[in-house]
Amino acid sequence: MASESATLTSSGARPRISIPLLSVLAVASVCLALLLPQNGPFPWWLLGLVAIGFIAWNASVRLSADADPMLLPIVAALCALGILVITRLDVYLGVHQVLSMLVGLAIVVIGQRLFLQYRRLANVTYFWVLVSVALFVLLRFFGHEVNGARLWFKFGPLTAQPVEAVKLFMVFFMAAYLSKNGETLAALRSSSLLANLRLLFPLLLVWGISILSLVLQRDVGMAALFLGIFLVMLYVGSRRLDLVIVSALVFIIGAWIAAQNFPYVQARIALWLDPWSDPLGRAYQAEQAYFSMAAGGLLGTGYHLGHPGFVPDAATDYPFAAVAEEFGLAGGLALLALYGALVIRGMRVAFFSRDAFTALLATGFAATLGVQVAVIVAGVIGLLPLTGITLPFVSYGGSSVVANLLMLNFLWIFSAQAKAVPST
Amino acid sequence: MRRRIIVITYAFIIVFLILAVQEARIQIVDRAAIQQHAGDPRRAQSLAHRGELLDATGLPLAQTKGSRRIYSAGPALAHVVGYSSSVYGESGLESSLDSILSPRDPSSDQFAALGSLFSQRRQQPKPAGGKVILTLRRDIAQAVDQALPANVRGAAVVLDPRTGAVLAAVNRPTFNPNRLAADWSKLRSRADSPLLDRCFDGLYPPGSTFKMLTASAALDSGTFTVDDGFRDPGYFTIGNFTVHNAEGEATGYQTLVGAFAHSSNVDFAQIGVKLGVDMFYQYLHRFKVGDDAALSLPVSRDEIPAANSVTDGELAQMAFGQGSLAVTPLRMALIAATIANGGSLMRPLIVKEIQPAGRPPIRTVPVNWGTPISKPTADAVRDMMIDVVRYGTGTAAGLTNVIVAGKTGTATHPGGAPDAWFVCFAPARAPRLVVAVIIEDAGYGGVAAAPIARNILAAALPLYAQ
Repeated sequence: MASESATLTSSGARPRISIPLLSVLAVASVCLALLLPQNGPFPWWLLGLVAIGFIAWNASVRLSADADPMLLPIVAALCALGILVITRLDVYLGVHQVLSMLVGLAIVVIGQRLFLQYRRLANVTYFWVLVSVALFVLLRFFGHEVNGARLWFKFGPLTAQPVEAVKLFMVFFMAAYLSKNGETLAALRSSSLLANLRLLFPLLLVWGISILSLVLQRDVGMAALFLGIFLVMLYVGSRRLDLVIVSALVFIIGAWIAAQNFPYVQARIALWLDPWSDPLGRAYQAEQAYFSMAAGGLLGTGYHLGHPGFVPDAATDYPFAAVAEEFGLAGGLALLALYGALVIRGMRVAFFSRDAFTALLATGFAATLGVQVAVIVAGVIGLLPLTGITLPFVSYGGSSVVANLLMLNFLWIFSAQAKAVPST
Repeated sequence: MRRRIIVITYAFIIVFLILAVQEARIQIVDRAAIQQHAGDPRRAQSLAHRGELLDATGLPLAQTKGSRRIYSAGPALAHVVGYSSSVYGESGLESSLDSILSPRDPSSDQFAALGSLFSQRRQQPKPAGGKVILTLRRDIAQAVDQALPANVRGAAVVLDPRTGAVLAAVNRPTFNPNRLAADWSKLRSRADSPLLDRCFDGLYPPGSTFKMLTASAALDSGTFTVDDGFRDPGYFTIGNFTVHNAEGEATGYQTLVGAFAHSSNVDFAQIGVKLGVDMFYQYLHRFKVGDDAALSLPVSRDEIPAANSVTDGELAQMAFGQGSLAVTPLRMALIAATIANGGSLMRPLIVKEIQPAGRPPIRTVPVNWGTPISKPTADAVRDMMIDVVRYGTGTAAGLTNVIVAGKTGTATHPGGAPDAWFVCFAPARAPRLVVAVIIEDAGYGGVAAAPIARNILAAALPLYAQ
């Protein structure tokens, strides 16, 4: 397997530049150039660096012309929109966001040789579990608390949200485990599942630990996201709908218990059921988001002509409302369409993967993006209680941007490999 | 595995479609409903161009100075005029007249927005706000504010019976609309609800003030004359219900005039039962009790029990303003205004003139809302109301140089001392002002409310000479 990667990196084909990527970059930079200077001093040579970063990313894999031509342009468009929205809300956060993107692009480009050998990850199934648990434990004791939730590590001026890394580890573990045990699981009869607890135990353990630590750390959104990843990968890897249904039931019961015992969860659910109940108290943020989206209407107020800043923490929690206000329903639907396209392309990569491990990884990454978008957008528009997870590439948040770029990089190199080596 | 990947892909497509539909619901279908809610800071963004609210004499009641909205009448008209704040939303006339005071941007029209799609960077000029002249009088409101004690719960409404114009509507407790930010959390949490507009939103049992309507019905329907005699032994049993007088006293044998002046519940219970449900309800409807006043402000609907559910016991109580009846102070002022106006009821008005920016002004005209009773009936009830103040339960409302016609009310309710009412008009034979006063849980209307109404009349009549 390692030799395959080697052939990829060392093959003589010259790197080519994808036309869709260049056109998106061109349009995005023109838009940014036209719009950004309105909002004060934005060091905008940084945008040039982002564009260079994307081109370097595109060139970082030889035979990149064989890779999926849609993935990077979609990500570039989402990043551009993210910069527009965040900068519009707060120039300082916008600069920070751009720097995070550059860091993510640098990691991807510089580490590409390593990433290409991703198949080695299949051998270290439980390593990811240990690392994740270690991160959670460290977080419990050394975490930095913001708004009552201990979700960050703080190193001087830098903060990191380890759960974004755990998100990737979760996919690695599930893919490794299911690529080995998926078929065995699929062959088991429902009645004999309990007798094979030894087989199921790692799965249950990992899932239980992650959900529990998340609940303890009050990150219900991440818990929902992990559940989504878990269910999708379990279904795709083992075709066992009974396990999927049981896990979903366990989660619903767990959520119900949480709702009974955590006032914080209760409050969020109460707000979800009646967002107009406490307009100047806890419902303030949700209610302001409704006003923001209603102000947008069909075509929006226009960039810089709305007031998305009235929503508290709009850059992290409500960038979708900001898009919906200034770009209207049209902009919001376009954004959803971009995410939809990204998920579909990701699933397409999984579909054409040549081995189960790659297919499961691709499914996991595509599902992570899809579930994340669904959970946060549903929270903003009132279909689910609001949670604190990010809108990929658009929400302000460095760890999230870096983790999402890494996921996309994996999808992208999988697509390059699927085509590079003709299936036998 | 590939089949399952396709299944998952379709599942995501369905989820995203659901998200799209819900977003469309918020931004298109529910848009107007969401924007109706108070608390959208976008509404107060146009404060600089927001129009003025003026009183009938042209004095400002709400105006923008710099970045602040100034309410010159302060606590006296806090509830009626209301407030417009980017933080606390809008209330009162500031809320109900919002579309005139702050017209929406042309760009908030969806199709205009389509045209400006390619010229978004050009900021459209904000449309100037219209000006609204109200029937309210700042000087009269301030006189009422001074006449009402500070530490009570209650309301006072002043009307011109000839036009239905609301001249003042003052509440207790009240608040200062100029210092909402400092007081807000206290205003929200206080048990005596200082933000409640009791004049128009408060529903109270009217007590004996409702005898104005019962007496009108009794005379106008021809069922009784003023000289009909009643025997009041202090109680009257109807079905399994026994009626007593407010002080438990027996007023003895007297005519309708005496029964009204001494406010005999026993006599009026008998009148109610003799009138019957149909006749009584006919007059409730003629006086528009329970009808929408169509004022430019939200007004609570009076509560009257459904006619087919009313027993004789209930009817006997309704005849003296108890039972399941609950009305606004505005309603009692309107009933008195009908009698003052010779039997015809003027629809209440609070907006005198609207001056939209760049368009000709719209002037409201007094509208006759119906003639519930004949002139002779109105005059007879008026004379009985004069007697109430001359020698009956309302002597505390008497003025030396003007004849006052009035009716007391002592409305019992569960959970407190009775509410004290006094509803009156003056000068009795050429009425210019109607005053309705209610003080919650204050006891006898003739003691707790009548002196306040007298002070209001004494202060307001010279201010309202013609």
